[in-house]
Amino acid sequence: MRASVGALLAALHTGLALAAAPYESTYVPLPTETTLIRGVAAFTGDGKVLDRADVLLEDGRIAAITESGATLAEPASGRVIDGNGKWLTPGIIDVHSHLGTYPSPSVASTADGNEATGPNTAEVWVEHSVWPQDPQFGLALAGGVTTLHILPGSANLFGGRGVTLKNVPARTMQGMKFPGAPQSLKMACGENPKRVYGERMQAPMTRMGNVAGYRAAWAEAAAYRDQRQQFESGEAEAPPDRNLALDTLAAVLDGEILVHNHCYRADEMAVMMDIAEEFGYAITAFHHATESYKIADLLAEAGICSAVWADWWGFKLEAFDGITQNAALIDAAGACAIIHSDSEELIQRLNQEAAKAMTAGRRMGMAISDAQAMSWITGNAAKALGIAAETGTLSVGKAADAVLWDRHPFSVYARAERVWIDGHLYYDRSDPLRQPVSDFDLGQTVAGGER
Amino acid sequence: MSVLRAAKVAMASLVWLFMAPAWAELAIVGARVYTVAEPEPLEGATVLIANGRIEQVGMDLSVPFEYRRIDAEGKIVTPAFIESYSHFGLIEIEAEATTNDAALLEHPLGPAFDVSLALNPASTLIAVNRMDGVGRAITAPRPGVDPLAGLAASVSLGTGAFLLEPKTALFGHIGAASAELAGGSRAAVMQRLRRALDEAARFSPSRYRPGPGDYSRHDMAALKAFLRSGKPLVLAVERAAEIQQAISLADDHGLRLIVLGGAEAWRVRDALAAAGAAVIVRTHDNLPRSFETLGARLDNAALLHEAGVDVVFTAAETHNARNLRQLAGNAVAYGLPWSAALDGLTRRAAQVWGMDGVGTLTPGSRADLVIWNGDPLELTTWAEQVIIDGQAMPMRSRQTLLFERYRDLSKPYGYSR
Repeated sequence: MRASVGALLAALHTGLALAAAPYESTYVPLPTETTLIRGVAAFTGDGKVLDRADVLLEDGRIAAITESGATLAEPASGRVIDGNGKWLTPGIIDVHSHLGTYPSPSVASTADGNEATGPNTAEVWVEHSVWPQDPQFGLALAGGVTTLHILPGSANLFGGRGVTLKNVPARTMQGMKFPGAPQSLKMACGENPKRVYGERMQAPMTRMGNVAGYRAAWAEAAAYRDQRQQFESGEAEAPPDRNLALDTLAAVLDGEILVHNHCYRADEMAVMMDIAEEFGYAITAFHHATESYKIADLLAEAGICSAVWADWWGFKLEAFDGITQNAALIDAAGACAIIHSDSEELIQRLNQEAAKAMTAGRRMGMAISDAQAMSWITGNAAKALGIAAETGTLSVGKAADAVLWDRHPFSVYARAERVWIDGHLYYDRSDPLRQPVSDFDLGQTVAGGER
Repeated sequence: MSVLRAAKVAMASLVWLFMAPAWAELAIVGARVYTVAEPEPLEGATVLIANGRIEQVGMDLSVPFEYRRIDAEGKIVTPAFIESYSHFGLIEIEAEATTNDAALLEHPLGPAFDVSLALNPASTLIAVNRMDGVGRAITAPRPGVDPLAGLAASVSLGTGAFLLEPKTALFGHIGAASAELAGGSRAAVMQRLRRALDEAARFSPSRYRPGPGDYSRHDMAALKAFLRSGKPLVLAVERAAEIQQAISLADDHGLRLIVLGGAEAWRVRDALAAAGAAVIVRTHDNLPRSFETLGARLDNAALLHEAGVDVVFTAAETHNARNLRQLAGNAVAYGLPWSAALDGLTRRAAQVWGMDGVGTLTPGSRADLVIWNGDPLELTTWAEQVIIDGQAMPMRSRQTLLFERYRDLSKPYGYSR
């Protein structure tokens, strides 16, 4: 194994970044081994399937891909893997996770995901709650997850800023932060905010109270942003007093932070789209969105993704109309469908969740290819996180984030054999030394990979 | 599967939708039939169904002319699946208290709590899960304020009678949650349970003088009746040491033990096998979610089975009990033999719960079965026709109606039904 030039450059780069700005990523790609996977079936993550591909991972990047049995020359040094009978996919991406903030063990002292102390906590950053030793990260890795987006909980109208992480073992949160990935703003509709605060006899107590809360905050943020611009252009003598919550909202208005909006009901999503129009921001994705299928045409027109479950429904009234064909109907309408987990269990099997959602559509006569359904947990997810130029598909030049499965990944019997992130082999099912074990799991009954 | 083939298969299942009237006699012809009674499937077999029962299963059977014939060539037939822990008929919407009768959160009713008196056969959850091959379930109280949560019932997800048998098992829970209720220590829970069972054995209403915190006469009478019923005690318990405690408790009181959950059951598998205890496994429980489940692992089911423990399954989520087959499939991915997985969903579950005449496709057994378009544990397979008590079930639910209403958004809105 040798350290790649790319890795060294990246290390140098992140070293400088660390010196430049607090809270920035300190992630350093580990050394890579040039790896050729021969004759493998592959889903590219953007709706295509390759029969017998050769895929070359070099210097942390996907260096070459052939199709239909065309072969690549064996690299001068490195490893060749026989991909016959196996499947390669991009690294799986979960756009909705609470790993590290609702970790295992799940006890009162580790519940760090919901700052339910006021309906607008746009000032909090979920990354400041992430516990990198959460054993759940390693389990998600064994399920092929290479990138995950951690969001604050949904108690509040504005829950705070979300963060995109690389699923690598690290001592610090900064060591997991996906370099260059935009932060998100978590917003929440419906039952949760009105229940949490209504029970305390404070606003919001109703859905109309929710909407008034969003609008008042955006109005304040727009004024704050104006004052700041006036100071920057010399029209005003002093900047406004620093306000962390308004910093977040203003950054959304500036297009620097992406809005990820927890919202179940179709009618509420339509209202949220009006609010976005009123204040001039974009909604990147509705999350949970159990009723997206009712307004799939509107979502397609607005270019808003829906991050949904395959089959969760009925746990509360706003989820009562959840149907298993949701993702299929969203996709068929030309809107962006994503399967998310919001669960420390589902994140280990997002391939199975996508398979169920696809099958539900087929059962009702819809034509959906395996390759299209695979984009629901790879390419489309990368787009919604603003990292599609870097990962999410098997494309020459992108990061070598990939999973080798022992069979078709939509089989219930499929298991991830190897998982690469930036070309480094972070997980190997056949090698216990390539299966991360968190500090917490050390010396316990069962550790890491044995789970 | 090609898109064209998927479309054809879907068309075929749409045809089912319009031809599901009640029919006295059915013949399913040409499928690979897993009777589960025999180790190997029958290829290209015929299943004859009359009067709600399996009449015959075999090769080259002639089909009487009056039987409705279902061509199932290339399909797979299994018994309908049994969900071993659910709240069917007790919960419609989890978060709406008015639709949730699964747990006692305040009233001091313990072992006398009998969920069969609250069952709602009109629940939308029934058709949703039946469509994916779930035929029967144990519907149980959920852990509430007492370590003994109450009495479960067995139910059918068919369109006939919902309640099959009340008081089919006593459910309880030991561990962190019940320790908190018992004053803060697991030891107190065990002492309370042991004392209650001892006293119930010799309980007499006229001589019983309950002190503060003791069970009422009503509870003690129910506990005594349970002890005499021969029904199993189901304890939700995760940690290996406490599973040992549960085994001793059951042994000391002559009770048949069923462990619910049992994240660390694999660690005491030999003791469980020796005690003849069954384990209701939730395959996906591999998280060190609490300090009681630090030993959780995905091959729990495989290790238990290998040691001779009866393994049955739960999705532990009634709305999605349909995911039972996915959970069983994952148990197979982590070492459980495929046949043992099917067994745990059918015959073994029927045995564990004392459900007579179900779980296998043998002459005389109840005709609860499913025609699948592939391996029933696979995610790309679906149930083409579910048959309960010999009746072809309507392959629709509130969810398929929502789908039909919204599949074409250009149509005028609001009048489909």
